[in-house]
Amino acid sequence: MRLSRMAAEGVQGLGINKLRTFFMMAGTIVGVAALVVIMAIGKGTEKRIMKRVRNFGPRAMMVIAGGGKDLPPPDMNVTTLTLEDAEAIRSQIDGLAIVSPMAWRFQMNVKHEANQYQAIVWGVEPSWHEAWQWYPAAGEGIADEDVATMARVCVIGRTIQRELFGDRDPTGERIYINNVALSVKGVLENRGSSPIGTDFDNKVILPITTAMRRVMNIDYVGAIRLITEDPKRMAEQAAAVRRLIHQRHRINPSEEDDFRIITADVIAQLARGTSRTLSLLLIVLAALSLTVGGVVLMNILLISVAERRPEIGLRRAVGATQRDIFVQFLTESLAVTVLGLALGSLLGLGLSVALPRLTPIQAIPSWEPLLLASACALLIGTFFGVQPARRAAKLHPVDALR
Amino acid sequence: MMESESAMIELENIEKTYAAGTVTTPVLQAITFHVDRGEYVAIMGASGAGKSTLMNILGCLDKPTGGQYRLDRIDVVNLDDEELSHLRNEKIGFVFQQFHLLQRTTALKNVMLPLIYVEDYPDDAVERAESALAAVGLADRMTYRPGELSGGQQQRVAIARALVTDPEIILADEPTGNLDSRSGLEVLAIFQRLNRQGRTIVLVTHDEAVAEHAQRVIVLKDGTVAEDRRVSRPRDAEQETNQDEKGRA
Repeated sequence: MRLSRMAAEGVQGLGINKLRTFFMMAGTIVGVAALVVIMAIGKGTEKRIMKRVRNFGPRAMMVIAGGGKDLPPPDMNVTTLTLEDAEAIRSQIDGLAIVSPMAWRFQMNVKHEANQYQAIVWGVEPSWHEAWQWYPAAGEGIADEDVATMARVCVIGRTIQRELFGDRDPTGERIYINNVALSVKGVLENRGSSPIGTDFDNKVILPITTAMRRVMNIDYVGAIRLITEDPKRMAEQAAAVRRLIHQRHRINPSEEDDFRIITADVIAQLARGTSRTLSLLLIVLAALSLTVGGVVLMNILLISVAERRPEIGLRRAVGATQRDIFVQFLTESLAVTVLGLALGSLLGLGLSVALPRLTPIQAIPSWEPLLLASACALLIGTFFGVQPARRAAKLHPVDALR
Repeated sequence: MMESESAMIELENIEKTYAAGTVTTPVLQAITFHVDRGEYVAIMGASGAGKSTLMNILGCLDKPTGGQYRLDRIDVVNLDDEELSHLRNEKIGFVFQQFHLLQRTTALKNVMLPLIYVEDYPDDAVERAESALAAVGLADRMTYRPGELSGGQQQRVAIARALVTDPEIILADEPTGNLDSRSGLEVLAIFQRLNRQGRTIVLVTHDEAVAEHAQRVIVLKDGTVAEDRRVSRPRDAEQETNQDEKGRA
């Protein structure tokens, strides 16, 4: 076919001046690589969000004391969220599997003999284990009668075990918090730490009654964890809980809330927030380098057309039509961008693999961005290749041969 | 005006003027001559006499501003750019003073170039190019690039390229202009051999000695035909080459 013969002539044009070919590709390479990295970061972020949501619990909501901010740490000075609020939610909102209030204090001194450590102390109901899917690895968890009798017992995290007891079995041993003696009932499963370094295992849990009356001496709770029976109803239930607490705390619509409700959706939005800025930046970079690269491509092609006038004249003399010349030069432009596309994709995939290893940025390479990148590259190759190709085709053979 | 059965080129009152702003410069005026099939014609003239312009018109690279031109009885003046391209490809083989070879391409590929513009690309393109190269004595240089060949060899590659489409006519524009005398004679010998095989050749030159290898010389002066004469005994380039060698020995 005539067309494919002309195209082959164009592709061979790439080898004429390799440095020039490289400069023609540079913009495409950077732009495509940026596109591939953007998409990989997007995927990485999405995965991180899924993990956060999974950690938080896809069916979970938290009512946290203190308004304003979106995320923990909670405001310790807000004293308005109470066990009665939890009881009201339990009795008036339906479709909730678990309503589990908890009181908490950060940085409490926990002692055993000569050893001491700063721990987070939680006062919890027995449903806490199920609400967080977090059970004792050894010994027993918090039980109903512990709460009912205000028992002086506790369950400790792995960090506390290690810091206070070393390798010894802590079950039945005694620890002191605020001079209250507590007997260790069990040790919680290992949970490791969060991406920002919070140690989940640096934790002591007590019966909520023991914590509020004996250890912390408070009559309010820090948060209430809710587990829904049906994730589809979560938004509706969150709204109902909000109305209920507004009513109970007598908050007018004009006033600021003294609590907030966090759902899996909120967590996902927050996790998305930071990566969006980076993606926006990369999109601007990709758009810029593809456009600038396209203009560079066009200008180099125009120079190339001027330099190759004798060749064009010769081809016209031996029978090339204007269309043949046009096809040849347009193919050359397209071939450059396709080669740039290939190299840019490789660079982008390489960066996507390297980024998570060298930086905290999550990135998962995939093939979908190559589709988008191909479309962009071909569009640019055509758009910026037409003008030089047309100029080559319109050259008068006599002028070209001169 | 009689139409000759054997006429390859028929020029009637060809005119070419160039317009630069309001000033029009006539370059060719009332050029009329015929070239028959199988003729070997040299077009001569001093620089500025209109040789190149006439050559471009003969080669269908440019159109006259007036007059009639029939090539192999096809009326060229009314053809559009695309039809002219096909006509050049089919009927004309060009040989230029500057060879015009593609530098990064082998002799064989250079010779094959006109074939890619043939409407039905021949299956035996490579064989054709090989035999064209063999016909100019370069069978052993097929894979050489122009930079690895002497000037005379490069011009012979260009002649092979002109031959590969088996054209009706070969148009050579100062083909010996960039060559030493010995290489020039080799090229002229090839043209004479091709002419003996029946090929029509039109050669443009300013050099009397080169023109005398043709059977007929048309002299241009100030854009008109000043002289159109038969050469009673054309020079024989092959003989001259041999004498040259003897003289050297």
